Amino acid sequence: MKIKVVSIFVDDQNKALRFYTEVLGFAKKTDFSQGPYRWLTVASPEEPNGTELQLALNENPAAKTYQQAIFQQNQPAIMFFTEDIKGDYEKIKGGGAEFTMPPTDVTGSTIAMLKDTCGNIVQLTQLAKW
Amino acid sequence: MGDLEQYTPAPAYGAQIQKDGEKWTLILVRELRHSPEKVWQALTDPAHLREWAPFDADGNLGTAGATVKLTTVASPKLHVSEARVTRADAPHALEYNWGDHNMRWELEPSGGGTRLTLWTNIGRPFIAMGAAGWHICFDVLDRLLGGTPIGRVVGGNAVKFGGWQRLHAEYARQFGIEVPNWPPQAAQK
Repeated sequence: MKIKVVSIFVDDQNKALRFYTEVLGFAKKTDFSQGPYRWLTVASPEEPNGTELQLALNENPAAKTYQQAIFQQNQPAIMFFTEDIKGDYEKIKGGGAEFTMPPTDVTGSTIAMLKDTCGNIVQLTQLAKW
Repeated sequence: MGDLEQYTPAPAYGAQIQKDGEKWTLILVRELRHSPEKVWQALTDPAHLREWAPFDADGNLGTAGATVKLTTVASPKLHVSEARVTRADAPHALEYNWGDHNMRWELEPSGGGTRLTLWTNIGRPFIAMGAAGWHICFDVLDRLLGGTPIGRVVGGNAVKFGGWQRLHAEYARQFGIEVPNWPPQAAQK
């Protein structure tokens, strides 16, 4: 077994695709529709055949309640790893994203958090090299 | 029984797209060799829909006002949406929503069979995908009603089927939209 796809709920798939590609720099991987259903994933250009992130339309009231609650607690819904958190912070901020936490040293890593404009907090993590 | 391996879809035909503001509508017309009554049953009866349609229904779609759960078949994740039948004039006209897609069907007697027209709104990037999918569904439906079913071909199973990819490209060219690079090269062998 492999971890191949993880999902994040978004309030608008087109808006999410723009943010995750144009602002975060991921690449569209799969975009398929069957009736009202749309299967949309992105992947990292650094790892085109790596784990995919599904941008899933949140039309489930229970999931909406959960999503809003953890957003209000500033809890990240997803975490991405980077080798250059300062550089990514500047680039993503330059793309217009709002950070709720600038790069901050914590035990074993440096983390930053931002809003994805689709209902989620995203965390960036750079592991410390010891 | 028919045989899926013997089935090769005809080239793209009988399709139009219409733009109304930001909303795109796919219009598909098919001549089926079966009576409007038989086609009506295939469009509304869950036991028939299960044999050809891209969704399963948990109730009959043939009664105005009815609420029916439609579940996508063979999509990467199960997707359930509630449909409300807004028009059911047997065996002539049927209207309901499939999620945010409006589905409008018209059945007209035609040369001993039925001229079936579907109007459905689909986002522009997926309109050729929808046309290719419905094209195959209607072929499956025609064979089902003719007593030689070849089995439902929908969702991921349709995409794997070579004819779908050819149709997808053909409809995209007919509609004058970008010929899709789908499935992505990486997913192909």
